[in-house]
Amino acid sequence: MSTTALSRVRSGAAPRTGRPGAVWALPGLLFFGIFAVLPMGLVAYLSLTSWGGLGAPRFIGMENWSRLAGDTVMHKAIVLSLVLTVANWAVQTPISLLLGVWAAGPQRNRAVLSAVFFTPLLLSSAAIAIIWKSLLDPNFGPLAQVGPWLGYPGADVLGDSTGAFAAIVFVSAWQFIPLHMLLYQGGARQIPESLYRAAEIDGAGRLRSFWHITLPQLRHTITTSSVLMVVGSLTYFETVLILTDGGPGTDTSIVPYLMYQVGFESWKTGYASAIAFTLVVVATAVSLIMVRLTGFGAMRSTKEGM
Amino acid sequence: MKQMTPAPPATPRERPADSGAVQVPDAPRRRRRRPIRRPNLLAGAGVFLWLLVVGIPVYALIIATFQRSSDYRAEGPLTPTGDPTLQNYVAAFENGLLGFVLNTLVVTAAVVALVVFFATTIGYAVIRSRTRWTSGIFRVFLFGLAIPAQAVVIPVYLIIRELGLYDSLTAIVLPTAAFALPVCVLILTGSMRDISEELYEAMALDGAGPVRTFLQLVVPLSRSGISTVGVYAALQAWNGFIFPFILTQSHDNRLITLGLFEFQGQYRVDIPGLLTAVLLSAIPIFIVYLVARRSLVNGLMGVGGK
Amino acid sequence: MNTSRAGAAGAIAIGLLTVTACGGGGSADGKMHVWMYQDSLAVVQKSAVERFNEDADIEAVVDEVPGDTYQDKVRTVMGSGDQPDVFFNWGAGSIQPYVEQDMLLPLDDALESDPEFADAYISSVMEAGKVDGVQYGIPLRGTQPVILFYNKEVFEDVDAEAPETWDDIIDLTDTFKDEGITPFALGGADAWTEQMWLQYLVDRQGGPEVFQRIQDGDSEGWRDPAVLKAAETVEDLVERGAFGDNFASVSYTEGAASDLLAQGKAAMHLMGSWEFSTHLDQAPEFAEEGLGYVAFPALPDGEGDPANVAGNPTNYFSVSADSEYTEEAVEFLKTTSSEEYVQDMVDNGEVPTTTGAEELLKDSPDPDFATFQYEMVQDAPHFQLSWDQALPPEVATPMLTEIEKLFNGQISPEEFVDAVAELQ
Repeated sequence: MSTTALSRVRSGAAPRTGRPGAVWALPGLLFFGIFAVLPMGLVAYLSLTSWGGLGAPRFIGMENWSRLAGDTVMHKAIVLSLVLTVANWAVQTPISLLLGVWAAGPQRNRAVLSAVFFTPLLLSSAAIAIIWKSLLDPNFGPLAQVGPWLGYPGADVLGDSTGAFAAIVFVSAWQFIPLHMLLYQGGARQIPESLYRAAEIDGAGRLRSFWHITLPQLRHTITTSSVLMVVGSLTYFETVLILTDGGPGTDTSIVPYLMYQVGFESWKTGYASAIAFTLVVVATAVSLIMVRLTGFGAMRSTKEGM
Repeated sequence: MKQMTPAPPATPRERPADSGAVQVPDAPRRRRRRPIRRPNLLAGAGVFLWLLVVGIPVYALIIATFQRSSDYRAEGPLTPTGDPTLQNYVAAFENGLLGFVLNTLVVTAAVVALVVFFATTIGYAVIRSRTRWTSGIFRVFLFGLAIPAQAVVIPVYLIIRELGLYDSLTAIVLPTAAFALPVCVLILTGSMRDISEELYEAMALDGAGPVRTFLQLVVPLSRSGISTVGVYAALQAWNGFIFPFILTQSHDNRLITLGLFEFQGQYRVDIPGLLTAVLLSAIPIFIVYLVARRSLVNGLMGVGGK
Repeated sequence: MNTSRAGAAGAIAIGLLTVTACGGGGSADGKMHVWMYQDSLAVVQKSAVERFNEDADIEAVVDEVPGDTYQDKVRTVMGSGDQPDVFFNWGAGSIQPYVEQDMLLPLDDALESDPEFADAYISSVMEAGKVDGVQYGIPLRGTQPVILFYNKEVFEDVDAEAPETWDDIIDLTDTFKDEGITPFALGGADAWTEQMWLQYLVDRQGGPEVFQRIQDGDSEGWRDPAVLKAAETVEDLVERGAFGDNFASVSYTEGAASDLLAQGKAAMHLMGSWEFSTHLDQAPEFAEEGLGYVAFPALPDGEGDPANVAGNPTNYFSVSADSEYTEEAVEFLKTTSSEEYVQDMVDNGEVPTTTGAEELLKDSPDPDFATFQYEMVQDAPHFQLSWDQALPPEVATPMLTEIEKLFNGQISPEEFVDAVAELQ
């Protein structure tokens, strides 16, 4: 390894190796610094202040944090966020994996059906939430007709704690399964055919080759897809805002929604920053753990001899 | 500093420029895949079920856009109306939907341009620079993967306010691009690692500096990675909600997601009108999908890496 | 991770600089910006701005901001240094944070120097435009009392009369429930519609003093027995099925609650007077023929005067203190009592809050309804501003959540009282 100084000098001309200096990363790093890292620092600072969005923030030390520690709504929000994350993962992973593997197969109707399955990806989260809100209307939507069969005689799905939460899990599955299905489809296509042949010769059935070949071969895809799902679930916002508004009561007020409500409706900006910072810490911890456990995104150097 | 191994015979331009990240298996292999044994009834049933889950809401959405508000209330969205109307479409255009779509296109294009520029330069520096900074830089972005945009929206609002950009399209572009960057850097570094050492050495022997190496070798060979990044950034911008929601206010700077959210409040009773706006909002992506289906799908598959 | 720690330290330093820096006021485009809540009534203000522009040296423009998030948007923009010169608000708690930051222009001087302007409005309505006794808001809209609407046809079908007493309310609830009709439409997905019930119940039970104490900042005011009694009444109504079994997911803003009434699926609907214009727009025949209206009845043993009214006395215009056009803005505010302005309001179905507007009401699309409202407000000893507007947003937002929980049966009346008392 050369010293930094040397490489800086080289970065200008670098006549023989053509290697770029760290300067190449500077514009992007600065940009990212101003709009992502700096805000993180500000969140930490604001969490120590009392501020209503007007005038200057007043430094109050750990007051927000001690209140946060005893805030039952926040505790509930954290639990809800975690449950949502687990539920999203548990619902979306098997369905998208199976659909993805299926779509990678040779069936003739596959292309047409895949195209239909792709449609939710054309719609934004806001659009999807609006569609489902109208579909779940208890008096004037299709749910009013089929609700009684599903155990909701009043079709009061969004007004019921379990129902509203289930609706959010369902709508996010509807929205995100197509994306994850595509990931798995891409992954499944790269499994060498020879593995299946060999298994077939060994007399393995469909189930066994799925279990012993497909699943292990897809482990990287499973990791990627899971990280995306987890981070996505922790920061889920629009759907809750539009579909349930955090209700009934606070029964679907997950952390990002609570932060929005406290910050931009109640205007307790300092307190909202403490919530936000908690979210950052949780999301960072969760993804670092996942990265550690799975090696996702590691400096997987293939050809560089480092 | 490590010295280079002897140069390979070919210069990069003479090489087939197709060793990018996303390796879609060649067609013949796919065709030969697993001769159909017996129809998989279970898979068929599962796929059919999912077809219903995706298809029924989409069907209800399309039907509703041709209904009058009063018919929708009376008949519900599941039966096609006997008296279809186009007035919802006319109303959507009169309400400025087209302007919202144009704004969104502008923002999306700008976000994609920024992200591609920053992610390629950062990726190049991370892969090829010999300074000890680069692994630190890479860590910053890995860490940044977990920063939820929702959590830092308050300070982002402050920064935008101080830059005098509140209520402008630029205000949406900058943070949206910054938050798309970590994933894109990860994807692109992965993709760039596949460019072989020999090619770089050949460029160096040619006397190419970092800029020429970047433009003539790295960018062309990362094409598929770049298209993946482009698709990812475009989807982020197209679906973005929280930044436009907090950072803009006026009708002139409204994006489509927010336009939908606000149509929701404005239309009051007119669910078909709202759903028409929802449907129209998907049309630009639908056109892209029709025109560039293959690269869009491959791009999305590429988000999962390998 | 040394770099990011250093980065964070730097960020805090820069952050301190940026957040304490003061933004300059006003938009830079040389126009006077008037912010309006976007709805069908804003045409009155738009034509007022047109008239104003004919004579004024500067140009005024109306910026319409979509409804649901109006207040959040105002708060966001007020801090941004890009604030509107004149903006629509609900008076009282809704403007209190700005007053505390000296962001609003006190209007007392302007009123004193122009007695005609000062006497132009009904005094009970001017009251909610004050913060700490100083006038910051000038009425700009018609009055919007909350009224009990009912569907005449549904009442005829079961041979019932409009409710006059609380016993009638209970009897009608049982009657309609037996008929399979929801007694009261309620858009429980929007908690402020539930708040309307509670604020009437508290007022009828204990009089306006109960909430006044809370509004003055004494959170123990929530522990007044009248609040508990009102909450128990809510619990009783919900258990009786007064609001049907799915009100929690019925949306008012999407029109579902109003539709239930218009289609006869619900018999009554407690709602602001704008409900009439909504029906006039969506189902004109029903609005003219089938829509009945009465005042909220008295409670047995209630101490409150049944003539009291709750709702929005009106909406107000306030002026930003650091606007470049404060003088012009005050001139513009004065036009809200002009003859043309008041006439526009009446033609649009609004009931003006200017003194002596009575004779104009015959021009209203529905003179009977207009007169009913005008007299209701004129004769009211007290006009209770909606709680969520009377209290600052820090308290109002969580309060609405607690009200929603009370209606959903997620908390008991006692728990409700404890929860709201701890908010301040």
